[in-house]
Amino acid sequence: MRDKVVTRVLPVFLLIAAIIVCVAVAAVHNINRSVTGSDWVNHTHSVILEAEALKSDVYLADGALHTFVLTGNPRDESACASALADADEDLEITKALTRNEPAQAQQVADIGGMVGARSAFLNGIMSSRSTGGPDAVRKALSDDAGGAALHRIKGAIERLKNSELELLTERDKASYLQAQTMRYTVWIGVVLDVLLLAASGWLIQDDINARRRLAGALQDANEKLEAKVKERTAELEASNARLTAENLERLWTNQALEHQLRYNNLIVESVSDLVFVLTKALNISRLNPAVTEETGFSATELVGQPLSRVVRAASRTSEDALAEALGASRQLRDCPGLLEDKRGGTRPAYASIVPLRDRDKVVGAVVTVRVDRQAPGPQK
Amino acid sequence: MRGAKVTRGQWLLLFGLALPFLVARLYALTYADLLSDPKMTPRRFASFFRDFAWDTHPFDVQDPDQFLATRTGDCIDYAVLADHVLRRDGFGTRLIRIEMIGKDMGHAVCYVTEEKAYLDYNNRMYSKSLVRSSPAIRAIATKIADSFEAHWTFASEFTYSYKTSVKKIVMTVVETDPPGTDPDANRYTGAGAPRS
Repeated sequence: MRDKVVTRVLPVFLLIAAIIVCVAVAAVHNINRSVTGSDWVNHTHSVILEAEALKSDVYLADGALHTFVLTGNPRDESACASALADADEDLEITKALTRNEPAQAQQVADIGGMVGARSAFLNGIMSSRSTGGPDAVRKALSDDAGGAALHRIKGAIERLKNSELELLTERDKASYLQAQTMRYTVWIGVVLDVLLLAASGWLIQDDINARRRLAGALQDANEKLEAKVKERTAELEASNARLTAENLERLWTNQALEHQLRYNNLIVESVSDLVFVLTKALNISRLNPAVTEETGFSATELVGQPLSRVVRAASRTSEDALAEALGASRQLRDCPGLLEDKRGGTRPAYASIVPLRDRDKVVGAVVTVRVDRQAPGPQK
Repeated sequence: MRGAKVTRGQWLLLFGLALPFLVARLYALTYADLLSDPKMTPRRFASFFRDFAWDTHPFDVQDPDQFLATRTGDCIDYAVLADHVLRRDGFGTRLIRIEMIGKDMGHAVCYVTEEKAYLDYNNRMYSKSLVRSSPAIRAIATKIADSFEAHWTFASEFTYSYKTSVKKIVMTVVETDPPGTDPDANRYTGAGAPRS
């Protein structure tokens, strides 16, 4: 699961990164434009330099021609030809430099026409100097008196230079505006980034404060919980001590009951009266040693047998009285009967019955039989 | 106090050490030697100029024998001589001149088509005397300007004749023009075409 602070701060950082990338792209773009601008400045200077060189070469050719006319020296003729060749080279380069600028290209074409005419004129004079003699040369030169053609070339070159200087001014202004735009771009980018960083810092600080508050609340809850746990532990310890005491008391009670039971058993087993424990159906479930002693039956022989196997009622009434007393859940004392032993002999006896209850329900009975010792011994 | 006496052995040793320099001074390379060299290649040509000095000349291009005799010259002397010598030996050569107005200087080289490289006087003392380049003038100019850590303004292919001492511009490429409008834009296609 993404942390809430990440969800809040991540877009801000992405925005900062986007601004940095935009500023970097703009800066690189501007560097490229600056290089292009620098190239254009060099280009403009180059046009001006070539135009100046062209003008110089035309003047140089003109001067060399005049010297040649005066001296007839072939070296001057060669110098004139060389200057014209240089002028031709300068013109070619100037044309190439301005071929993508229609206005300047037209100016250069005009200059080219004038230079071509001047070159033809100079070549014509050189030919005349070599073939026609001084008169022909003088006539040709007199036609060129005042050097109007040279002035036109000079003027055209100056106009070309001026238009190039205007271009230079425009490009300088564009370069300045471009630099200014770049400054604004960079500073706006920096300010935006600083603001966004401050915003992200505030968001992080806010999150830290929220976390601190949460941690404080958690600590309070832990302390309260610990206090409750201590309180509950104390209660449990007290309860445990009470239960331990109760267990001890119960143990002592059980021990006392066991003693009492043992004493009771001893009493039952030591009495001379015959004691039978009967089921609800009057069958023998337990008996005391006095029964074995008086009847000769072992316990195993009698357990599960009906009481009538050893104790018979003296009359029909007596037998019913025992059953009735058990059914009515009441005691019956000294009901006359006969005790029969293993040998088949009988002796008068008195039976008492005490019902055994589990809550209100009769589940059995205890029958005690007292043998009448005054009566004669067992009769067959 | 008497000065130290130089023995005959020491004299012989000094003479032995100086002999190669004396021979080199006596044996001056000529234009005719270069033209008649049967094993001439661009690299071999460059190897003759390793100890040449650099100096400008009042005239644009020196006479080849003067250049070789004085063992001093500049880029255009070297380029033009290479153009003449190698062209005679069947190599396709082109003279390229570039102008770096911002640096107030120009430079010239001789491009050898078979080698796809140009001979540059500034590299004469290096074992790698040929600089590989695309044949387009723009590419050559860019490479040369880079070696001067400068921007170039325009570059021209030209010819030169020792006989007439006249340079002829064949074509000129201007740096600020779109590369597609260069006069040689359609001449070189494929791997050798200029990229910008």
